[in-house]
Amino acid sequence: MHRLYRGLLAALVLWPWLPAAAETPPQAHQGVQDAVQSLKQQVLELNRDLFLLEEELLFPTNTQVSVFVSMDVGEFFQLDSVQLKIDGKEVADYLYTPRELDALARGGVQRLHIGNLRNGEHELVAFFTGKGPKGRDYRRGATTTITKGLGPKYVELRIVDQTRNYQPEFAVKEW
Amino acid sequence: MAGRTLLLCLLGLASLSAIHASAADKPHQVLDLDYGEVLFHFYQEDYFTAITHLMAASERERLPHHRQEAEMLLGGLQLSYGMLDQAQTRFERLLDTDSDPALRDRVWYYLAKVNYQRGHYRKAQRALEQIGDHGAPALGAERALLAANISMALGENAHAAQSLRGVRAPAGWKEYLEINRGIALLRAGNVAAGRAVLDDLGKQPAAGEELRALRDRANLGLGYQLLRHGDPQGARTYLNRVRMQGPFVQAALLGAGWADAEQGDFQAALTPWMALSKIGGHQPAAQEARLAVPYALAKLGDGEQAAAYYELALDYYEREQKNIDLAIENARSGTLIARLAQADTGTSGGWLHDNPTLRDVPSGRYLVEVLSGNGFQESLKDYRDLGYLAGALNRWLDKIAIYHDMVDMRRLAYERRAPKVRQRLARQEVTELKRRWLQFNTHIDAAREENDPLQLATTQENQHWARLADIQTRLDALPQTSAYAQMREKAAWLKGVLYWQIQADYPIRRWENHKQVRAIEPLLDEASAKQTAITRALAQARAGFSGYDERIRTLHARILALLPRIEAARHASGQHLQRLALEELETRKQRLVSYRSQARYALARSYDQLASTPGEHP
Repeated sequence: MHRLYRGLLAALVLWPWLPAAAETPPQAHQGVQDAVQSLKQQVLELNRDLFLLEEELLFPTNTQVSVFVSMDVGEFFQLDSVQLKIDGKEVADYLYTPRELDALARGGVQRLHIGNLRNGEHELVAFFTGKGPKGRDYRRGATTTITKGLGPKYVELRIVDQTRNYQPEFAVKEW
Repeated sequence: MAGRTLLLCLLGLASLSAIHASAADKPHQVLDLDYGEVLFHFYQEDYFTAITHLMAASERERLPHHRQEAEMLLGGLQLSYGMLDQAQTRFERLLDTDSDPALRDRVWYYLAKVNYQRGHYRKAQRALEQIGDHGAPALGAERALLAANISMALGENAHAAQSLRGVRAPAGWKEYLEINRGIALLRAGNVAAGRAVLDDLGKQPAAGEELRALRDRANLGLGYQLLRHGDPQGARTYLNRVRMQGPFVQAALLGAGWADAEQGDFQAALTPWMALSKIGGHQPAAQEARLAVPYALAKLGDGEQAAAYYELALDYYEREQKNIDLAIENARSGTLIARLAQADTGTSGGWLHDNPTLRDVPSGRYLVEVLSGNGFQESLKDYRDLGYLAGALNRWLDKIAIYHDMVDMRRLAYERRAPKVRQRLARQEVTELKRRWLQFNTHIDAAREENDPLQLATTQENQHWARLADIQTRLDALPQTSAYAQMREKAAWLKGVLYWQIQADYPIRRWENHKQVRAIEPLLDEASAKQTAITRALAQARAGFSGYDERIRTLHARILALLPRIEAARHASGQHLQRLALEELETRKQRLVSYRSQARYALARSYDQLASTPGEHP
């Protein structure tokens, strides 16, 4: 009887090792996997071409304006949302997820807005809302005047930690 | 970061951990915004969007400062997105063209990873051997782990243990390297050394659920190993360390019971086995406990209780078998696939962290357990990825129809406005303005050269000047009397005053005129440039519209050609998933059938024993 149960136990004895020991590469089902790989490549290329077409059609280079958000460290400011106004008109009001904040903190740059503007000067106002030093509610604005000329315009809104006064700083950089 | 990678490794997700290692040496400063945007999507594991944007940015040559990193990143993204062929080709190409040692090390590492994932272990090993000492510390730990995994896959366990020894690892990595080293040592037959490593790991305080689960796993593995090698007392020590709230509690309770039973203490064995029976899970350990309890009772001489528990076990196995039959039926009828279709989360890449809700499906819990398996997750990822691709293309299909209309509208607007614009252009307004400006400029220059203040006199001053000249002419024609002489003097005096005023203002006027003429020049240039641009745009507009038409038509056709292929591949993938599920469910069913027949046999024997004991039963 005891031997009987030991036979049952044998399978269980082995299992704790299996997942940690090695990542078993999938061998089976190769045909479908090859097809999936090939389809992914083709769809990605198609998606790129569609993406380029869309941008050319909706945001021609002569009028295109893109606004990006980036974060350097972000210890003195925990971002919640950004509101963006161009010439007094709200064009973006973005609430961040923890995943997006993590991506920003690690060096990612978010394209907050893409739109069209005529040539000439435009006022850009960004409001950053979140938690400031000591966890207090924090809302700060940054204003700048950008000059749109021929060709696309890129503007970066940067949140930078100022160790000098332990405060966040909101800078606007034109590219 | 390390914790995150550790979790991924624990889940057995080689590709993700690989690319996250590259994140450890991410650029300190983003010099091209487009590259930063790709990173933004990459860090969120949205590989589809990241790859698309990276390819688009390369196409537009918007990555001048990150060209090499972009190639590397693209290869890594392809690896993470399950495009092993493309990733391998890209990495090999990087080796051909690049000579930077640190980058070459990373490329060799990824090539090893790709080959390992494909099951080409020797090739993977050779690629690893090419790596020098230029990598980041995180890469060193990953490399050691990969080397160990490859060696273990080749059955070279001692070599695997050796490659994990003394590796410098960032925080959070050490424990994972150690558990693998312990396992490799045990597999290599070096039980004492393996036990020492795992024992040490199992005693360490662990911060965070990941590390606690890892510690549990070390203790559980060691406990079972000792049980197998005939050391139940030692086994009990390690099994006792496994947390009751952890994911390994069921296996630990079963093993603890067996450790007691091995030592002949069936009374003690009953405690963990009874606890396990009450948990009521569907893991093999909980199912086996249903048999273990009456077995221990029989050993303790309580035949009646043992028979009663065997009866209960039989009922339980019958019920479970019915449930599993229902689960098999669900899998066969396509309910499983239908549920998986609902698991599409709308994001590309990443793993299915939460299994789809199967609450409404009869016996859905069995399917949930099946879905948790690594092999199943791998195939499920393909299935979900295909769903995502189909979704993306279907969204484009809607949009591209709008873009087609948009181009048509623009063409109409062009046809309506172009003749008027052409008419205005034909008037050569800018050329005429430029001519007038040049004329005026010449006039100013002449005045300056002649130094004649009257050239810059105002209209009123010119009128006054002409009137005084007229008066003088008329006075000259009058007789030479003293009265007229006085008038002539007065006229000459007034003319002199006027001239003096004009002359006094002359330098300022000359400067003002010069300034105004110069200010007009850039405006004229701008107007001229605009006229050229409009002329060019008018000439190119027709070709542009037909170019867009052609592009839209081609892209539309490509979407339509790909969609049925994706659908077919998804169907095949779904069928594969169904097969995997059915195989797993069938295995579970066979196990239940085996338990059931053993319970029946043991029950019959219990009744026989009870019947053969005189006087105890009526």
